[in-house]
Amino acid sequence: MDVDTKPKPVVSVPTPDAEKPVVKAEPIAPNVEIKQNLVLIDRAVTTLEPRFTHRVLRTLTHLRKKLNDEVLSKAVEETYTKDSPAKAALFQYLSAPAAMDIDLPNGDAKPQPVVVSDPLPEGDTYIRLLILLHLSASKETTEKAMALAHETVERIQALNRRTMDAIAGKIYFYLARLYEVTDRLAEIRPLLLAAHRTATLRRDADSQATLINLLLRNYLHYNLYSQADKLVSKSTFPDSAGNPQWARYQYYLGRIHAVQLSYTQAHTELLQAIRRAPTAKTAPGFWQTVHKFFIVVELLMGDIPDRALFRQPVLRKPLEPYLQIVRAVRIGDLSHFQSALQTYTAQFQHDKSYTLILRLRHNVIKTGIRSISLAYSRISLRDICTKLSLDSEEDAEYIVGKAIRDGVVEGILDHQKGVMVCGRKGDVYSTAEPGEVFGRRIGFCLELHNESVKAMRFPLNAHRKDLASSEAAREREKSIAKGIAEGEIDDDDEMDF
Amino acid sequence: MAPPQLVANYERLKAEVVNPRADQKTIGQLLTQLKIALTEARLLIPGSNSSLEDLVLTRDVLELGAFWSVRNKDIPAFDRYFSQLQTFYVDYPTQLPPSPREYPLIGLNLIRLLTQNRIGDFHTTLETLPPNVLGENPFIQHPVHLERWLMEGSYNKVWQEREAAPSEEYKFFVDSLMKTIRREIASCEEKAYDSLPLSDAMSLLFFTKQSELMIFAQERGWNVNPSTQIIHFARKTEEKIEIPKQKIIVNSLAYAKELEQIV
Repeated sequence: MDVDTKPKPVVSVPTPDAEKPVVKAEPIAPNVEIKQNLVLIDRAVTTLEPRFTHRVLRTLTHLRKKLNDEVLSKAVEETYTKDSPAKAALFQYLSAPAAMDIDLPNGDAKPQPVVVSDPLPEGDTYIRLLILLHLSASKETTEKAMALAHETVERIQALNRRTMDAIAGKIYFYLARLYEVTDRLAEIRPLLLAAHRTATLRRDADSQATLINLLLRNYLHYNLYSQADKLVSKSTFPDSAGNPQWARYQYYLGRIHAVQLSYTQAHTELLQAIRRAPTAKTAPGFWQTVHKFFIVVELLMGDIPDRALFRQPVLRKPLEPYLQIVRAVRIGDLSHFQSALQTYTAQFQHDKSYTLILRLRHNVIKTGIRSISLAYSRISLRDICTKLSLDSEEDAEYIVGKAIRDGVVEGILDHQKGVMVCGRKGDVYSTAEPGEVFGRRIGFCLELHNESVKAMRFPLNAHRKDLASSEAAREREKSIAKGIAEGEIDDDDEMDF
Repeated sequence: MAPPQLVANYERLKAEVVNPRADQKTIGQLLTQLKIALTEARLLIPGSNSSLEDLVLTRDVLELGAFWSVRNKDIPAFDRYFSQLQTFYVDYPTQLPPSPREYPLIGLNLIRLLTQNRIGDFHTTLETLPPNVLGENPFIQHPVHLERWLMEGSYNKVWQEREAAPSEEYKFFVDSLMKTIRREIASCEEKAYDSLPLSDAMSLLFFTKQSELMIFAQERGWNVNPSTQIIHFARKTEEKIEIPKQKIIVNSLAYAKELEQIV
């Protein structure tokens, strides 16, 4: 590859955050990288191995920062033949004049290799994706970006190539993102639904996963939870989808189920989303948002989140309002809860967790009653009333009655004397509970093991060698067996002696 | 355009609904005729080429129909009207002028969900409402408060709030709501008290006559002692803890199988 022979210096792009990642300190010029990527995509198409395409797409995030008109025009210039119509079409989207002889920063005099043919459709789409990324970065070019995205989507659907799926997913994603930025999400819904149908029919798992997530995001943006729920129940999320898409899907599911009061389910899904998400540093936004909902759902289930969660550097500041709520719930203080709720109303509404937090009110009361029942063996309803700042004794009686029925506290009410007599909770270890929990955990570990075994990759044809050696081994075994058989006779003979 | 016959019927319906002495049956018949006419004019499920006035007319008819069905306690019909109206509220929020009846109807639907104990749907509907409506609109506030108090167990407040319904139609749901509350309270009492004097039980369950309470007690199977006037609740005897043999065997076998696969 001539790519590797190129002089590598060109420290032309000293990105501001370049001092942090010390590990891979070998900045490559963006154009070189694009070229490398195109080679990789070619290889992916010829070997039908989507792994290479995925590797290319992983570089998008950091390549994105280096893109500009100059780099892109050069890339287009280098990839397409001199007068290919595709080239002219792409240059429309780039604002830099198509100056052919831009002075290259590394100023190498080596003549450009003459391009003989247009790239494969996959490569073409990749170049388009890069241009799209660049165009969507600034506000002025949003219109252009949308036009390009629409054109590309049409091309993708017309071409119908399975090797393109991964790139197609990305294109869909940025198309929807553009609509979201311009606040026109409702308009794109029909297009996404149609694309999802097509992707499902073509068994295009990558686009399918992306599109389902985009649709869910679209619905949840407008708080259309029932529609989102219907979409989830009517569609199947492809198992082979990548981790990032799974994380998003689980997060949306968690939100839907939290609204529908299936907290246990929501809890599992949000936990899965957190586990599948990239680390806090690479995707802090997602990490924070998921944790916000996770905390609220955990509170709704009656658990108190771990204090350490709020100390993580990425989470500390955005979770501050939630910390206040958690504190109020933990000590069962209604007035503290109300004041925290009022202070941060705007923040909660922005996070779309406001209505969920409103539901916490009775959890605060329940915790309050529980802590009282642990501390007192007998307490009058009036005292409960003042402790929990409830409105009246009648209310307190009903509330305590409900708490007893729901199994929050053990105890008995005495109506004539107006007191609650608290009982003792039985020993958990005398029930089947520990056994069940143990079973669940073992099940989880076993599943993890099986999943990891399934996820292992083996090099192609490597087993042939093993086969050959096993063949030899079998031969050897046979001869040994023979020997033993003969030996046995010997043994027997000896025994006779 | 809507046919003149349809418009005439619509005007008649409007007049009948306002008329306090109107015959409910006539309104019902009018509604049926209107719905048939709307279907023929392709307005019941709005397409893209319907004019604004026609859409408003359709919406009005459906809204009146929804109120009418609540007044006649025909809940399934209300359900149908309401789901047809959803299209107008959700898909045409900017084109159509806002309807004054929208939030009362949504509020009614919320109460209906509450009385049917469909709390999940209740919250899903709440999420679709903008926050300022949630906090201020009296028609929405009413069901929201009811739900909160029901969840907390402040049944006393629910009982008081019942009189403060923001519109006439809300009272039609009160009866079934009261039944729900009584059931809830009764189940709480069974757990929370050993015994309860009749008079106290009466006030706790919001009964005014002892005979009503006796019927209710019979339904729930409570043990009433006539001489001392005390209700005794049957305590559930401590259930025997059995070893779940079946489950343990199944689990152990599964572990063994999995372990074998690993080794």
